[in-house]
Amino acid sequence: MWRQHRYKMLLSALLLLSGLLLAVNTGEAKAGNQFDWLDVLGEGTTLLVACGWLGLIISSRPTGRVTEWLYYGSLLLVYSYFLDLLDEFIRYPDHIRLMSWLESLPAPVGMLVLTYGLVGWHREQRAINRQLRGRELYLRDHQLIDPLTQLYGMEYLKAVLQREIELHQSQQSSLSMLVLDINNFSGFNRRCGMAAGDAYLGRLSELLTNQLRHSDVICRYAGDRFIALLPATALPQAQIMAQHLRQQLAQLTSHNDEPELTIQALAVQQSCAKTALQSADKALAQAKAATTLELQRT
Amino acid sequence: MPARSFSYQDKVLLLQHGSTELLALAQRRGALLHKLLSGTNIFEQDLHRPHGRLHHADWLKLLQNCQQQVSSPELPFLLGDALLNSSYISLCKSLQYARNLRQALTQLYYFRHQLFPGIFAKAYQTQQQLVIELHPALGFANQHTFMLATVFSLLVSLLKQQLGTLTGVTIRLQQDVPENLLQQQFYWGCTVSFNQYCDSLSIPLPLCYQTFTDADPVKFRAAKRTCLQLNRVLSPQRGLLECIYTLQQRALPVLLTQQHVADALGLSGSSLKRQLRQHHTNFANLIDQVRRDAARKVLQQGNCSNRQLAMMLGYSDEHNFRRAFKRWTGFIPSDYKSVFNFN
Repeated sequence: MWRQHRYKMLLSALLLLSGLLLAVNTGEAKAGNQFDWLDVLGEGTTLLVACGWLGLIISSRPTGRVTEWLYYGSLLLVYSYFLDLLDEFIRYPDHIRLMSWLESLPAPVGMLVLTYGLVGWHREQRAINRQLRGRELYLRDHQLIDPLTQLYGMEYLKAVLQREIELHQSQQSSLSMLVLDINNFSGFNRRCGMAAGDAYLGRLSELLTNQLRHSDVICRYAGDRFIALLPATALPQAQIMAQHLRQQLAQLTSHNDEPELTIQALAVQQSCAKTALQSADKALAQAKAATTLELQRT
Repeated sequence: MPARSFSYQDKVLLLQHGSTELLALAQRRGALLHKLLSGTNIFEQDLHRPHGRLHHADWLKLLQNCQQQVSSPELPFLLGDALLNSSYISLCKSLQYARNLRQALTQLYYFRHQLFPGIFAKAYQTQQQLVIELHPALGFANQHTFMLATVFSLLVSLLKQQLGTLTGVTIRLQQDVPENLLQQQFYWGCTVSFNQYCDSLSIPLPLCYQTFTDADPVKFRAAKRTCLQLNRVLSPQRGLLECIYTLQQRALPVLLTQQHVADALGLSGSSLKRQLRQHHTNFANLIDQVRRDAARKVLQQGNCSNRQLAMMLGYSDEHNFRRAFKRWTGFIPSDYKSVFNFN
């Protein structure tokens, strides 16, 4: 967030510096015994708190209209408090009224600006809340997350796939899919017990989440079948990813008699999620048949 | 037929024969044990006692809790599989060591009170198929689908493991077509049809005699011995609905009266009525169901005129029978027969 506000920070530094220079030029320093330390403490704390507000605004808000209002309001406050603090150390000649105006005028203006910004912020938050509530309802409604693997389930996959297909068609970019299936998982369950099978599914889903990109949507389709959607990825790239995944998973799971995986990459060219998933099933069945045939030959 | 029938409050289920597996599955899916057990009379320390028991009211509550706590549609399918491969259940072990499906099914039927006392099966044979119809032996209310899915999953897993094929196997369910068929397709992998007249599994006859891959007579006998020993702890008992169903089925073409059945079961007429209400059914309904199933069975098996059928089922004339049949199935008997034979 800091980087978005470089110019603002530069401006504020310049403003405060100019205030300091003006004060030093017009007035003269007080002697040490004339300082009222209680005033210094009070005004210093106010200044620090106002500076803290500036820092919080900069670090937490993106650039935008509401942020500008909030920032400049606080900046005016900071400016006014800064001069307020300076006059504890510097005495101004009586005939120059400029410094006392500069000290007292920006504060109320800053307050008004800040309040206007806060109203804007309130509206913004209400809109966000409304949107979030809508989304949360959707999540609760469908209970989309598979409790075992913490991946999304089939309902979510169908919805997202349909949306992505439409999006990619309008942008004319390519969408790919990885289908992953465990060979003879029921046999593994039978040999090692269902607890081991469930633990393996959990581990596998973690590995998948780590190995794929953030933008990829990984879902547990059903039982021991997983589907990963790869947005903006062409088929050759998806095939490279599948190969990479095969190697990584083989290394990570080779320590005991864990089952082997079939991973198949395919491009999504259908215009409907249902047919796309059907073709994924078909491709996977073909890949499985091919591997069993190879095993029989050897 | 034992004189006494069990009801919701009789402890006829073993904790080790289902509950522990179900709880383990739900716990691995993030549910908390105390929440799963809330509202039941099951204590945590009893779960691993070898002959700990529970009654059907608790079992139904447990099923409900599991589905509330875990949003996982695969639960009944996995439970069936887990039961089949559980090392605690000697009945399931004996199923896998059986010579063939016929022996396994006979074994399962004989010892069914050890695994699924709440469901009873009626099997019959047509020219090409063995049909196993499943009926609830006590009212499951909204857990019926879950229980059926579990039993069918167990049977289908047994077929897959021991025969390696499901060609020609069909599951027919009474329920409506669910929104999402994926779990059924994925875990069963055979033809499933919905909105049928009865929950049944039909298996081609050749599959019934194909030798199991793990067939082992010695181990089978050993497992059967353990089952027999378990019989001393858990004597065979039948559910109320099963008792009435069987009584009426044997009595056809005579129709039993409510008082007759109550006498046979050692109950008073009013308490029979009250118990049936607990099971969400009534006497007339049950008798109707027996006649319906019998009519369908006879029509599928062979050629029988409507007149003969009406006589067999205790109808006063052919016309009444035809009207009843149309109410059950929406077809008149001859149409039903031709539809079935065409298939």
